[in-house]
Amino acid sequence: MREYQSGRFEAFDEIHASIAPALRRYLLSQCRDAAKADDLIQETLLQMHRARHTYDPSYPLMPWAMAIARHVWLMDRRTLSRRPWAPDDVMDMELPVRAEAASLAERDEVRRALGQVAPGRRQAVIQHHLLGFSFKEIAERAGIAETAAKLRSSRGMAQLRALLKGTEGAPRKRRR
Amino acid sequence: MSVPAELRARLVADYRPVRRLRSPWARALWILPLAIVALVAAPAAFDVRPEANLGWLGVWGLSIAQSLIGVLVIGAALRESIPGRDWSRAAIALWLSIPVVSIVAITMVSWEASPVSLRAGWWLVGGICFAGSAATALPVVALSSILASRAYPTRPLIAGSLLGLGAGLTADAGWRIFCHFSEPAHVLSAHLAAVILSTTIGAMAAVRYSRLRGEKDPLHEPVGSGGDHRDRSE
Repeated sequence: MREYQSGRFEAFDEIHASIAPALRRYLLSQCRDAAKADDLIQETLLQMHRARHTYDPSYPLMPWAMAIARHVWLMDRRTLSRRPWAPDDVMDMELPVRAEAASLAERDEVRRALGQVAPGRRQAVIQHHLLGFSFKEIAERAGIAETAAKLRSSRGMAQLRALLKGTEGAPRKRRR
Repeated sequence: MSVPAELRARLVADYRPVRRLRSPWARALWILPLAIVALVAAPAAFDVRPEANLGWLGVWGLSIAQSLIGVLVIGAALRESIPGRDWSRAAIALWLSIPVVSIVAITMVSWEASPVSLRAGWWLVGGICFAGSAATALPVVALSSILASRAYPTRPLIAGSLLGLGAGLTADAGWRIFCHFSEPAHVLSAHLAAVILSTTIGAMAAVRYSRLRGEKDPLHEPVGSGGDHRDRSE
């Protein structure tokens, strides 16, 4: 870690090799979900990198890394407790189809069309139009700028409309 | 198990050598100049309590001791801010109780040596002492918070509470030299309330900063900054 602090990036591989298994065991014991544990390991490693100046080489590395891992786990749990559910797969959710959409197509058609929308845009459309998240919240969840979240949502809606009208893929008019 | 490519790309983009943080106790010394200013500000701006019975040791000596305890508590907060160096529950209870015990002890010693009661204007005088002491604590809280934020507090509520408590104690040490009344009911309500307010402000600031830090972390931006703007070309 001392070398990583002082400018040798390659030292990160050694740090990763020495602590990743223990971090994984710890995070897995907390969240009991292998995929989630892997995400949390990455987040922990990012935060370790961010806080690398706080590590004192005269102390062992593991308690420092574990404290950050615990913090990452608690932050993740706090975020989830605020938003206990978020859809990962549009095909699994019940869509409260609005009157506007109902006039265009049946519920299954909307679901199918939504399934064809690009994943990032689809998430933004669902979170904003169906779940009522603000663009700021969507941006925070996806780790993107608020304007990018708005862009995803509006383009997702445009793509959805085009799919429902059957014009997706047709050349678009250039707007000024 | 190897480093995922995306993670590596993010780290490489952000990587540069860093200077290690000094020890928390060494960094707590940076508070000392401000603690000295806080100690002499009220007596310099207003007056020194005119109690012959207390003497130099009773007036200045006890306040200097209180101020040093405050700096020590801030040092404990700075140590708490470093991952893996957090205090045990018993130690936290000790750090939280030391300032309270010291205020009570100093108040009782002052009262025993020179009992000066507050006969009239209880709310007015109490309000002045409360506001003055709390206002003096604010710069100390601010500087301590900046020092703590240079580290990475994994328990911001505890770190913030400790630094707010230390700052409140340091600030009240100066206000105590000016306050003419040694009556425990006055000191343990107005002065202690200012210390409690400072503790609350420290805790709230640390928690708020911790949340903001999570939200504004540049490492959370997608790789190849510009985020989703590539959508424009789609």
